[in-house]
Amino acid sequence: MTTQLALLLLVAAAGAAFVWRGWRVLAPVLRAPPVARTDHPAARAAFVVQDVGLHRRLLNKRWSGVLHALIFSGFLVLFTAIVQSFGSGLIPGFTLAPIGGNSWIALLQDIFAVLITIGIAMAAWQRLFWRPKRFAGSNSRDAWVIFALVMAVAGTMLLEFACHILATGQWTPWRPVSGAIARGLALAGMGPEGAAAAERVFYWAHILAVLAFLVYIPGSKHRHILTAIPNIYFRNTGPRGALPPPPADAPGVAEIGQFDWKDKLDLISCTECGRCQEACPAYAAGLPLSPKKVVMDLRDHMFARERGEEADLPLIGGVIAPETLWACTTCRACMDVCPVHIEPMTKIVEMRRSLVEEGAVEPMLQDALASLQRNGNSLGKPARQRAKWTKDLGFKIKDARKEPVDVLWFVGDYASYDPRVQRITLKVAEVLHAAGVDFGILYEGEQNSGNDVRRAGEEGLFETLARANIDLLDECDFRRIMTTDPHSLNALRQEYRLFGKDYEVIHYTQLLLELMEAGRLAPAEAEPQVVTYHDPCYLGRYNGGFDAPRALIRRAGHSLHEMGRCRENSFCCGAGGGRIWMDDAAMAERPSENRIKEALALGDARLFVVACPKDTVMYTAAVQALGVGDRIAVRDMIDLVRPDPGVAAA
Amino acid sequence: MHIAAILRIVPDQNEELEIDDSGADIDREWIGLKLNEFDDQALEEAVLLKEAAGARVTAVALAGDGAERQLQTAIARGADDALLVDHDIDGIPGARAAAHLLAGPLRDLGADLVLTGVQTPEDVFGQLAPFLAGLLGWPTLNAVHGVSAGAGGLEVVQEYSGGRAARFAVTGPAVLGVQTASRPPRYVSGSKLRQASSATIARAAGALPDGFAAPRIAALAEPARSNRAEMLDGDAEAVAERLAGLLAERGLLGGRE
Amino acid sequence: MKVLVYADVEAGQPAAVARELVTGARALAGPGGRVDLALFGADPSAAADMGVDRILTLPALAAAPYDPAAHAAALSAAIAAAGPDLVLMGYTTAGLDLGPVVAIRHDLGLVSYCQTARAGDGAVETESQIYGGKLIARAATPLPALLLMNVGAFAEAAPAPGQPEVVTLEAAAPQGLRFIDATAPDPDAVDITRADRLLCVGRGIGEADVIEEAQEVAGLMGAELVGSRPVVDAGWLPKERQVGKSGRRVKPALYLALGVSGAPEHIEGMGEAGLIVAVNTDANAPIFDHAHYGATVDLTDFLPAFRAALEGR
Repeated sequence: MTTQLALLLLVAAAGAAFVWRGWRVLAPVLRAPPVARTDHPAARAAFVVQDVGLHRRLLNKRWSGVLHALIFSGFLVLFTAIVQSFGSGLIPGFTLAPIGGNSWIALLQDIFAVLITIGIAMAAWQRLFWRPKRFAGSNSRDAWVIFALVMAVAGTMLLEFACHILATGQWTPWRPVSGAIARGLALAGMGPEGAAAAERVFYWAHILAVLAFLVYIPGSKHRHILTAIPNIYFRNTGPRGALPPPPADAPGVAEIGQFDWKDKLDLISCTECGRCQEACPAYAAGLPLSPKKVVMDLRDHMFARERGEEADLPLIGGVIAPETLWACTTCRACMDVCPVHIEPMTKIVEMRRSLVEEGAVEPMLQDALASLQRNGNSLGKPARQRAKWTKDLGFKIKDARKEPVDVLWFVGDYASYDPRVQRITLKVAEVLHAAGVDFGILYEGEQNSGNDVRRAGEEGLFETLARANIDLLDECDFRRIMTTDPHSLNALRQEYRLFGKDYEVIHYTQLLLELMEAGRLAPAEAEPQVVTYHDPCYLGRYNGGFDAPRALIRRAGHSLHEMGRCRENSFCCGAGGGRIWMDDAAMAERPSENRIKEALALGDARLFVVACPKDTVMYTAAVQALGVGDRIAVRDMIDLVRPDPGVAAA
Repeated sequence: MHIAAILRIVPDQNEELEIDDSGADIDREWIGLKLNEFDDQALEEAVLLKEAAGARVTAVALAGDGAERQLQTAIARGADDALLVDHDIDGIPGARAAAHLLAGPLRDLGADLVLTGVQTPEDVFGQLAPFLAGLLGWPTLNAVHGVSAGAGGLEVVQEYSGGRAARFAVTGPAVLGVQTASRPPRYVSGSKLRQASSATIARAAGALPDGFAAPRIAALAEPARSNRAEMLDGDAEAVAERLAGLLAERGLLGGRE
Repeated sequence: MKVLVYADVEAGQPAAVARELVTGARALAGPGGRVDLALFGADPSAAADMGVDRILTLPALAAAPYDPAAHAAALSAAIAAAGPDLVLMGYTTAGLDLGPVVAIRHDLGLVSYCQTARAGDGAVETESQIYGGKLIARAATPLPALLLMNVGAFAEAAPAPGQPEVVTLEAAAPQGLRFIDATAPDPDAVDITRADRLLCVGRGIGEADVIEEAQEVAGLMGAELVGSRPVVDAGWLPKERQVGKSGRRVKPALYLALGVSGAPEHIEGMGEAGLIVAVNTDANAPIFDHAHYGATVDLTDFLPAFRAALEGR
């Protein structure tokens, strides 16, 4: 009876502490501004199954994924032991025996206790000896406390069972591990009486370990065992390429309280695993941005505010430096690798929005945005010169504003104005013309699509540009839009839905592939080579355009040697999110140069094939800067094809 | 303090300029127009002064292509009011005519400090700030590199050649030709611009004195090419190699310390 | 013709531009003409060798620092006293402060950015730089007129010892401005005027990180890195490294200008360099009219190539 009371008091105290500590964590989330994240329940549930149950993202890192699976599954099984311990302590006669507590459940408990131990050992090994860089900046003390508590829970359980066997003499094949320990204890000289006493000690140690764990987790990164499922369930199911709108009552987030409840659920769900940090091109370049640190800093600030601290610390310029916000390329890698679906990038854009509204913009970005306001392009060129590149063509491209076309080619800024890209633009025009495609352009009426303007945090200018383009497109007669620029593609396809427009937008690689398959294009007259291909963020990760470029490369007769970071794991060139307009002097290593080195390390890739005008700019510069022009050459997709001689002749 | 910031729209001289058929003007049909870069600085300085010391800022422009949009932008940047001065001059008034057109409306406005850019790429017949000062009878400082509000009035830094500068206290009304603001012009967000696009713009009429004859350019010409540089052809590598050779021949490479 | 020259003063002496203007004034005045010098802020004796007929001075200002309001009043008195057909001033800060003001006051025609000036029939014929020197504007302005001449438009007059008549003017001291103090360039800062090789970067470099690369190339060349106004205004280089009207005037043996368009204000600061080499993608950039060698390659290509070429030597 006293045991029962003691346990009851203990459980009540620990439960109260857990609720109190949990409430402190949850309160700011529950108080936060609303956001709609409850639609598509089936799809949401499916994600939970995949990412929690099947560890889909976790297993992208084999070692970490496996060790997590071991600990995770072990915990589920050990939960039965916990139920048994507390049940038997609180309710006389409680036992799991009728449903297999002494048979198969017992066996599972024994096996999974060992698996947990292996998992913890793998985790400890990783932290002690491999020390992945992604853990830099994480709270490692927290991790070790958790390891210790987990081992305490599992260890005390096994020891309790072992002593129980020794004390009662009930040897059972269902408890092979506990039995082995019991034999060990017996060999060490423990008798039945001593074992009975020890069983009580380990029982209480187990109870205490479990309760300590319970009390500890709300203040630890380990609370993700409670928040991960809701965080994944409530993830953003909207189009990947459409940014969420700014808060209803403000131009952006300038104050921690303005983040919505899902943003804050993100903050309390972070496990500090650092996969985002490892994937981040800005972090790799030595810029002062780690998505993990951003999330951790926001979280710590949120908690400090809860405690009444940091009241005068500004969010931007205090908690998060403006340089951190401007460093982001919006490549989305951080969001796509996060096992619990935290969205660091959208938070960065939210904060950029308030910087833009204040007029505190990175100086070179300011020049570009001012030019976009004035000229509709970022390069400071007069709008009327947008189609000047067409002068060098031997034919006149249709003016889509004046006559119907099948394919409306949205050319984009860099493809129109940048002398390094114009060569490619001209070639695309010539190839489409020769292949008999009915296409036209908007001439000087086209303006920047606004994709990266929006990602730079400039909502108002994005809207101005988008509406100008939409007004113009409304007057045109076309079947589908084609662009060489994945950024324009993303805006036209996904962002313009904000204004009720649902265009069919294709990337030129898709059109080229169609033409190739229809026999209207042939491989360029070049020797087959080993090539590698860089997935542009806004074609691949954002729009799933992984296959057409690869099919084109194969059809052009080349063999593709993939870089390690390909497809969904592609490594951003560093130009996105407005970065191409900003100063990169602070970079230790430009992401584009890092990438070229990756391609060179393949050993045999002679061509670095790109499918984005910004990539042409970035990688041509990178090859030059590294002085490796004799070892690898940047080629655009269009360089791999030519009009089929038969079609061209006809 | 009531500051008038005068904004002028000028051809973008970074572009190729072509002489028109009259031979006395550039071909303006296709040329890009932009806010005079020094006026941009002047407006920023006016808004900075307002923020630091409190002032009313009125952005003022002569009617013409893009003037209203510039004034709306100025409001988005922090100007309180905008004033568009109508006139019946065909084309862009020169600085001297502009000074005459603006002097009356500026007096009526009650401005006691006028800020504008130190020069434009076009003001061959003189600069606006000192012309206005002459007409208003106010002192003027040009090549201004920063204005701040002190206890006894404004402190203005004026720059001279050779990196010299002087500080002046301005105790009464004045006209300043601004070269550089105390801080680079701020960015004005698209949403502020969109808001300001509905701002009301006051109008006033400017008049030229009787018998005012605007000076005219007789002819424009390309600069004499007599001193044209000898151009080094080829790609960057070829040019670099050639240049390094030329410098080495002249003893202008290496051999130091 | 009667020509009145306003003398800019530096450190109590007539500035070089004043001696240049006297050359022009003599030519414009012609034989039998008169050249007067309005000299405020310096003692008349400092201008005794400038070869002018009269020196108009205002004793109250002789030892005082430059004050635009006081000088405007004094210049106005000088014009009233001398009745010139033509007033010559430099296109300097003082020229800007005073020229248009007295032109309004005395109803003088005014032409700015003048590169040449020639006496015509009751008029002065000028060639001015316009659009940052991209074009030349010719004008004929009826006399009396006032010209703001570009610095360097005329050669400096050789000293000509003489005893010009000194005319003392009177003018009421105007109100509204008060000189506080003057700052000279920081003597500890790098003195680019002493370097015999300069590598100058202009607006055309586009990005701040090109500065670093340019700095390295400058190091290889044994040159100091300098910049034009936009580069300094952008904060990419410190003020003491600015070449041009609002920066320093330099005269190095070698001036390599990268991405510099060559606005008159910049040319004023470096036009006398021994060897000028310009690299700019715009083949029409005025800098090529002042350079000895030029090239129109892209700087992002040129810098690494030039660096390699230097390292290869």
